[in-house]
Amino acid sequence: MYKLIILAVTALCAMAVYALPGETPPAGGQPKKFELPPRRTFTLDNGLAVTLVPFGGTPKVAVELVIAAGNIDESASQVWLADLTGMMLEEGAAGMSSEQIARKLAGMGGQLDVGVGPDQTTLSADVLAEFGPEAVAILSEVVRAPMLPGSEIERLKNDLIRRASIQSSRAQTQALEKFREVLYGDHPYGRVFPAEGILQAFTLRDVKDFYDNNFGAARARLYVAGVFDQEAMEASIRQSFSGWADGPAPSANLPAPESRREVYLVSRPGAIQSSIYMGLPTIGPTNPDWLALNVTNFLLGGMFASRITANIREDKGYTYSPRSSISVRRGDAYWAQRADVTTEFTGAALKEIFFEIDRLQGEPPPAGELQGVQNYAAGRFVLQNSSRAGIIGMLAYLDLHGLPISYLENYTENVMKITPEQVQAAAKNYIRDQQMTIVVVGDSASIAGELGAFGPVMQ
Amino acid sequence: MTGFMLHAGKPLLIAALGAAAMLAACSGGGGVKSNGKKSGAAFSVPIEYHKLANGLKVVLSQDRTVPIVTVAVYYNIGFRIEPRERTGFAHLFEHMMFQGSRNLGKMEFIRLIQTNGGTLNGSTRFDFTNYFEIVPSHKLETILWAEADRMSGLAITRDNLSNQQAVVINEVKVNVLNTPYGGFPWLDMPQYAFKNWYNSHNFYGELGDIEAANLDDVRSFFDTFYSPNNAALVIAGDIVPAEALALAEKYFGPIPSAELPARPDLSEPPQSEEQRFSRIDTLASRPALAFSYRVPERLSPQWYAFGLLDQILVQGEDSYLHNALVKRTGLTGSVSGGINNGLGNKYNYNGPMLWTVSLFHDNETAADSILAAVDTEIARVRDSLVSDEELGRALIKIRSELYDYLEYYNGMGKADLLACFALFDDDPGMINRIEEGFLQVTPELLQQTALKYLDSSRRTVLELQPGRQSASQ
Repeated sequence: MYKLIILAVTALCAMAVYALPGETPPAGGQPKKFELPPRRTFTLDNGLAVTLVPFGGTPKVAVELVIAAGNIDESASQVWLADLTGMMLEEGAAGMSSEQIARKLAGMGGQLDVGVGPDQTTLSADVLAEFGPEAVAILSEVVRAPMLPGSEIERLKNDLIRRASIQSSRAQTQALEKFREVLYGDHPYGRVFPAEGILQAFTLRDVKDFYDNNFGAARARLYVAGVFDQEAMEASIRQSFSGWADGPAPSANLPAPESRREVYLVSRPGAIQSSIYMGLPTIGPTNPDWLALNVTNFLLGGMFASRITANIREDKGYTYSPRSSISVRRGDAYWAQRADVTTEFTGAALKEIFFEIDRLQGEPPPAGELQGVQNYAAGRFVLQNSSRAGIIGMLAYLDLHGLPISYLENYTENVMKITPEQVQAAAKNYIRDQQMTIVVVGDSASIAGELGAFGPVMQ
Repeated sequence: MTGFMLHAGKPLLIAALGAAAMLAACSGGGGVKSNGKKSGAAFSVPIEYHKLANGLKVVLSQDRTVPIVTVAVYYNIGFRIEPRERTGFAHLFEHMMFQGSRNLGKMEFIRLIQTNGGTLNGSTRFDFTNYFEIVPSHKLETILWAEADRMSGLAITRDNLSNQQAVVINEVKVNVLNTPYGGFPWLDMPQYAFKNWYNSHNFYGELGDIEAANLDDVRSFFDTFYSPNNAALVIAGDIVPAEALALAEKYFGPIPSAELPARPDLSEPPQSEEQRFSRIDTLASRPALAFSYRVPERLSPQWYAFGLLDQILVQGEDSYLHNALVKRTGLTGSVSGGINNGLGNKYNYNGPMLWTVSLFHDNETAADSILAAVDTEIARVRDSLVSDEELGRALIKIRSELYDYLEYYNGMGKADLLACFALFDDDPGMINRIEEGFLQVTPELLQQTALKYLDSSRRTVLELQPGRQSASQ
C-alpha cells in the first residue's frame, strides 16, 4: 500500500558532463527501489495523533512527543519563557523527582530530552527496544503532570542567563540575531536573545501560565520509530495518554517578515573574519514551487559541489564553511547564505555570491549539472529516511506543514521532473537580490568602506 | 566540509542517525536483566575480514535495511605523528586528498559522489585520517574506483595547495581563533596535559606552518603514509560480501605496498603531581573549566573499568557530576566529558589518551569550589564499592551508547569502529566482543582503577578566563 520510490539516480550524469583524463569511473549497477518504512497512525479520543514506525534491526526505539508550543507563544516580555518552561518540565513529575526520572530512563539506556524551538517543543527518549512502553509512560507523566517545583526556578533562570551570554558571544549568532530582528521586527521570531532583566523577572506563575496556555493533547503528536512490540506499545500509549486533556488550540500568530536591500554592519572590533548572514523571506513547503526552490538552493549554495562553494571556497579560498539553506517554520520560511570569510575579502566574497545568484537568474543551468543536483536531492532523501530520528523528523515535518504522505511518496519523482527553466525561475522569483538583507559581523574599521557597494549601510 | 569534526564524542540523536544493522526486527535485543547482564541471543554485527596481498585490510559488513552503502578508507596516520616542523600538516593533507588524483581533477571527486546521490567527508584525528562516502548501494563500484584512484596517486598543483592553505587557515579561524572558547578544551588540553611532542603539539597547526607547506611535503607525506599496507577499507551496508570483496580486489589490489616508517615513541613520561594552567580568552563572556586524567591503556581490564567510571561520573543526567554540579548546586548548566572527548570516542584512538570533563561557569564562582565538588564525587568511587544497581545501569548505558555509535551518521559510526579495530587491533570482530569486556568488570576492579587513575596527581586542570589581562599562572 505504500508507494515505492524508485531511486532514479542515473548513471549518465556526472560522467558525461565532466570530461576526465584517462580512465572514467565505472557506472555501477542498477538503481534499487527505496520504500518508505510502513507506519501505522491512530488518534486517541482526546485528539492526540500517534504514528508508529517499525524500523531497522538495532534493538533501540525512539519516542518523541512534538507539541505546538515554542517561542512563537511568547510576548515581548517573555523571551525564552518557552525555554524555561521546557527546563522546568525536566524537574520532576507525578511524584517522581528529576533524579528518579533520570535514573529510570538511564536504566533503559536513554534519557529525557526536552528541546524548545521557535514553534515546537519536543520531549523525547531513545531507549533499548524492550523498554519502549515504559519510556512512553514516563514521557506522558512528564508532559501531563509536571511538578514545576518553585525550588528550581532561580537555578534554571541563572542557567539561561549564562547560556544567553555565552551563545550571544559568537559572531555567527550575533549575525543570526540581527538578521532575525530585521526580518521579523516585533514578532517573537525577531527576538533571538532576551535581555538579562527579562530572564530575571520570570516567576513560577509565568511558567505555570505558559504551560497551561500552551500544552495539551490538541497541540501534540506522538511518534515512535525503531524496534518495539507494537501491541505493548499501543497499549502503553492508550493507557498513558488517554487521560490527557485536549487543552488549548494552537496559536495562529504567524509572522509577516519583510526584507529590503540593506546592509547591517555589526561591529566586532579586530575580528579576523567577517561573518556573513544574508537572505530574505521565501516560500514554504506548501507552495507548488517548493521543490524547485529546494533544488535551486542545493545547486546554488546548499551542497559541497554547489556554485557558491565552488567559487568562494574551492576557487578563491575566502572561506571554509559557506552554506545556503532554507530555514522553515510553520507558515514561514527564509532563504539565507552564510559564510565566515577572511576580513580582507569581505566585499570580494559578497560580490561573488551575488555573481552566482545573478548568473543563475540570468540563464538556466546546464541539464547535466541539474541532473547531478537532482540525484543528490534524491540520495539525501533516502539518507534522511534511514534512521529512527530521521524518519520521525520527516513525519513531523509533514504534520507541521499539513502536507500529505504523498509528499514523501512522490518526492523523488517530483524532484526529477524539475526543469532548468524552473530552477532559473525559482532563483528569479524567490532569491531576489533587490530584497536581500545582508548582515555582516566584523571589524567595521576594515570593512565599513566596501559594504556601501552592496546597499545602504545601517549600523 | 572536509576537516576536523568538532562535535563531541557521544553522538546525540541528530537527524543524521543511521541505518540499522542486520537482524530482522524483533521485540528485543536479547533480554536484558535489571542488573545489566544480558541473557539470550545478543545483537551482533555481521563481519567478514580479509587482507589483500598488498596488505590492505578489508572489512565487509552486510546490512540490507536500506539500499545504501558506506565506504570508508582509514589511513594509519593521525595528527600525532605529523612532521615536527609542519604542525597541522596531517589535516592540511586530508584536504589535498580532495584536490585531484590520477583520473579525477579538482572538484571531480566531490561531484562524483554528490551527483550520484551520496554524501562524503574526511577527518583527521589522533591516530588516523579517514575518508568516507555514503551512497546508493548500486554505486559501490563507482566509489571503490574513485577511492582506489586517490590511493594510487595524487595530482596536486601549486594552485590547489595554495587554495587549500587559505581554506584551512579560514577553518582554523572559524573554529578556533575568531570564536569564543575556540579549541577549548579539545585542542588545548592535550597541549597542556601531555609532555611528549607527538601528543602535545598544536594539531590544527600554527598558521606559519600551514603557510609554509609545499608540494614536496605533499608528495613525501603521501609516499610515506598513504599506502594500502597502512590502511583499512570498510564496506558496510547493502552489499553482497563476495561481490564487494571482488571489487575491492579489482581496484585496490594492483596498488603497490610501501615500506612504512617505524612508529615513533608516543609514550608519556610519568606524571607525579597535578598540573594547573589558565588561559585568557578575549572573546569569551564567562569563565570555563576543564580537567583531565590520563586513561589506562586501551582495551586493558582497567580501561574497561574506566569506561564504566566515565558512565557513572559524567554520562547522562543520572551521573554523579551532573547531580553535583548542575542539579544540586547550579554551578553550571551542563557538564560534558569523556574519553577522547571532542575528537572521537573511547574506541577510536591508539596511544596515550585523556578523560576530559569541561563546563562553563559564572564569574562569581571560583574554579576551586567547583573542583572541590568534583573531588567529593570522585571520592565516592575511590572510597567505596559502587552498588550492583549502579554498575548495572552503567552497563546498560554503555550498551545503548554502543548501539548509537553503530548507527551514527547513517552507519558511518559502525564503519568507524570496524576500521579502528582493524587498523589498531587487526581484529574488527572486537566490535561484537567489546561489551563482554565491560561485563567482566567487578566493583572491586572499578574501585582499584579509580584509586590509581582518578588520583589528583594524574590530573591537569585548565581554567579559561574572559578578559584581557595576562594569565596569572
